[in-house]
Amino acid sequence: MSTTPDKLVERYLKHLEVELDDVPRDRRREIVDEIAGHIAEARAGLEHETESDVRNILEGLGDPAEIAADARERFDVRPTASAPPFKPGWMEVGALVLLLVGGLIVPVFGWLIGVVLLWVSNAWNVRDKIIGTLFVPGGLLLPLGLGIVAATGGGTSCSPATGPGGVTIGCPDTSSGRPYLAIAGLILLLLVPIVTTAYLAYQMRRQPAAAMA
Amino acid sequence: MVVGKQDALLAQMRKGTLQYCVLALLADEERYGFDLVRSLAETDGMVTSEGTIYPLLSRLRRDGLVETTWRESTSGPPRRYYRLTKAGRAALDAFQDEWGRFRDAVDHFVERKAG
Repeated sequence: MSTTPDKLVERYLKHLEVELDDVPRDRRREIVDEIAGHIAEARAGLEHETESDVRNILEGLGDPAEIAADARERFDVRPTASAPPFKPGWMEVGALVLLLVGGLIVPVFGWLIGVVLLWVSNAWNVRDKIIGTLFVPGGLLLPLGLGIVAATGGGTSCSPATGPGGVTIGCPDTSSGRPYLAIAGLILLLLVPIVTTAYLAYQMRRQPAAAMA
Repeated sequence: MVVGKQDALLAQMRKGTLQYCVLALLADEERYGFDLVRSLAETDGMVTSEGTIYPLLSRLRRDGLVETTWRESTSGPPRRYYRLTKAGRAALDAFQDEWGRFRDAVDHFVERKAG
């Protein structure tokens, strides 16, 4: 399986385009178009084009990363990686903690304060705020509350009895598979708010400088 | 360490003076990108990665030092031709004066005397 010259050129230009990602679009287009033109001119000047000819042309142009670094310098573009990391403040920490366990500290109300902090802070975009609000209302209050109710009330209602003729009458059929389902549901309800909180904590760091406002 | 710094300095000097070499190549005639690169590459040591000419040309155009026209080519797709603007010529003239003085001054100190 050998690489055709066309594929080599195509791969080079695509690589260049990716490297130039943070250069303004019109300039990126201009540079990529001109380099594509350069390659076409160089290839047109060859009598019998070989793969090594094309490789030499591309090598003469240089590493796309190097060209992109030069372009960033010429156009005063700062590499995106150098954006200052976001430092979470009390509002962000409070939102994350209260969304998760606020409902346990002060039932319902604690979670509501978490929601307010989530929406007031500008460390998240609207999409993330909606996710934080909907998954799951009350945070850990709901699954833990349901768990407690199930443990104290649910399990004791049925005990097998012996009916006439020695036939054992078991519990109603409906309850036999349910405990597992209920436990799985509870675990899910428990996991979702934890995952949401982890997601919000992760997203917060990825917000650009606007979060500092 | 010292050698590395020297390499970096030479690379910076090359980068800083390259645009005037391009302007000088355009002083008498308009040229297209590939033609410019070929002329620059004929002189050893001026350009290490030919592709870096294109961000430079783009920048010069945006700074109004060169302007471009597309022209049909007999051997393929149309070419973008670059030519000096008035501002480009003024920048080149100013640099030529300064550079002459600077080069003589440096030569005066660092050039080894023959024999």
